[in-house]
Amino acid sequence: MRPSSDWAYRLLHFGLLRGASFLVPTEQREEWRREWRGELWHVRQVCAPIGCDSRQGTREVTAFCLGAFQDALCLRRADRRPRLPFAAMEGTARQTILILAATLAASYAIALLLPGVRAERSLWARGVNPNLVLIEEAAATDAARPSIAPEQFRSWQGRRQKFFDGFAFYRVTRESVEAELPPGATSDKATWGVARASSNLFALLGLPVRFTEPAGVNDEGLPALILSEAVWKREFGADPQVAGLVLRLGAGTARVAGVAPDGSLALPGNVDAWLLEPNPAAEAGGAGYVIARLTPAGKAEMWAPSFRIASNTPDDAEDDLLGVSLEQWGPGPGALYGFALLLALLALPAITTVSLGESSLNPRKTSWSGRLHRWSFLVAKIALLLPIVYFVSLDLAYGFTTLGRENAAYVQLVFTFATSLFGLRWVLKDQRQRCPVCVRRVAHPAHVGQASRTFLDWNGTEMMCMGGHTLLHVPSLPTSWFSSQRWLYLDTSWNFLFAGSTRHVP
Amino acid sequence: MAREPKLAETKLSHTAAMILQALDAGFVYGFSIMEMTGLPSGTVYPAMRRLERDELIRSHWEKQAIADAEQRPPRKYYKLTAAGKATLQASRRRYPLLERLIPTEEARTV
Repeated sequence: MRPSSDWAYRLLHFGLLRGASFLVPTEQREEWRREWRGELWHVRQVCAPIGCDSRQGTREVTAFCLGAFQDALCLRRADRRPRLPFAAMEGTARQTILILAATLAASYAIALLLPGVRAERSLWARGVNPNLVLIEEAAATDAARPSIAPEQFRSWQGRRQKFFDGFAFYRVTRESVEAELPPGATSDKATWGVARASSNLFALLGLPVRFTEPAGVNDEGLPALILSEAVWKREFGADPQVAGLVLRLGAGTARVAGVAPDGSLALPGNVDAWLLEPNPAAEAGGAGYVIARLTPAGKAEMWAPSFRIASNTPDDAEDDLLGVSLEQWGPGPGALYGFALLLALLALPAITTVSLGESSLNPRKTSWSGRLHRWSFLVAKIALLLPIVYFVSLDLAYGFTTLGRENAAYVQLVFTFATSLFGLRWVLKDQRQRCPVCVRRVAHPAHVGQASRTFLDWNGTEMMCMGGHTLLHVPSLPTSWFSSQRWLYLDTSWNFLFAGSTRHVP
Repeated sequence: MAREPKLAETKLSHTAAMILQALDAGFVYGFSIMEMTGLPSGTVYPAMRRLERDELIRSHWEKQAIADAEQRPPRKYYKLTAAGKATLQASRRRYPLLERLIPTEEARTV
């Protein structure tokens, strides 16, 4: 064999062993390589010594190296620890925690995906200025319909105000919108709900506008258009460079100035974009909405969620108005959840005993670590259950925008109360039926004894820990001598029943 | 948890019995067992892993100094455990030709 081909074969053999070694579990790999390298040296000495041109010998060495793959696979198979199948987890604390954690993750993911929930959370996270009010005609039957005439708004603006220090007006019209493109190019037309609003509206609301252009860029004098987040995502694919785009709105043009954050559309009127104008109420036209900010004197005077405002019309006739605090949409989802949870905690003793049934536990049979494990499990269950209730209630209440905000709040309140109440009941009941030794749920309930007519005979249900540690007696009729459940610790004489289980009797 | 050592009555495959017999005959590393039994490396080494797992054989590394003195890499040696010897005895009854195929050192010297 020529020296060059000899080295090529050596490289091949080395490569084969190296490749096979990657199949070996990491902790055994180094020793495995050492053994096979040592053996290969001896095999080469016997089959293909240096300087001996033997194709047969080289083939034998190659065959030897190929056998390394079978050896490596054998070690890999042997290393596979028996995985705990889901059936073997039946009733264990781990299974319960996994199910609760998966439910929590799913409910949180749904809450993140539903736009209604996102908008609600964002709105309440930002908070609403408590001094902001929506002014409407007291006689208006539907608060969602505009009721303030532009002339009336103009007359307020012109007067000196004691209780208000800022007004903004907006009127929603349906307008066709298309992008302004170079001559010859075509674009799709869409119809949006455009609110022609006072230029101070966003400042008054305290809503930050995102993706704005740097100051001084818009020197064409075009009115600014603020897109709603929904339209920005739907029509512009959430393009962060949308600011500066010139759009044709009906007969005029406007320049996109930014994107309003989610939640700003909680104001009445289905608005897709806000066209900011110096004086939108200058032109006569349909009624609009008025947002006003109370002065401290006004807040002291008008602190209720809604209050009557006496005013005069432009022709000095008396006008009865209603001021509705923008805060009056009620407490946020967090506060509602907290209130419903408190109610559920108060009602809990009425539907179940709050005892954990641990009075019969033998402290000598349950170790300190066992007790800690048991209590940790209880705390973990509650800690997972409460956010599940919160997120599922948000999903149900705010996921469906057709419900309306007030109805959504009721749905959230009722759902949170019911699920917290029955969820906590389940937590306690489940805890009472957990083996004190292995925290596994007892199973195979068996009715024992005869139903007593005299209330003197004992009868109840017995359940067995599948790990073979304990037996749980639960009386059907609590008596003076047997009023609550009791645990019986099984001794080694029960072993024959649990052959094959990993039983450990403390 | 430690695996229970196999009992002497355990029925080994013919391959495993040959490897035990080879070890008992003084062929104490993988390649020498391959040479003695004629089995390929892909059979011998995995079989030895299983025998070691079942505590029928035990392995140890040769001292580095010995290997250095002979200018070669150190080898991993294998030897029978007590359980392995008992199992081999049982296997010899099951495979009577085993001792003739691979005679032990004592038999070879007689």
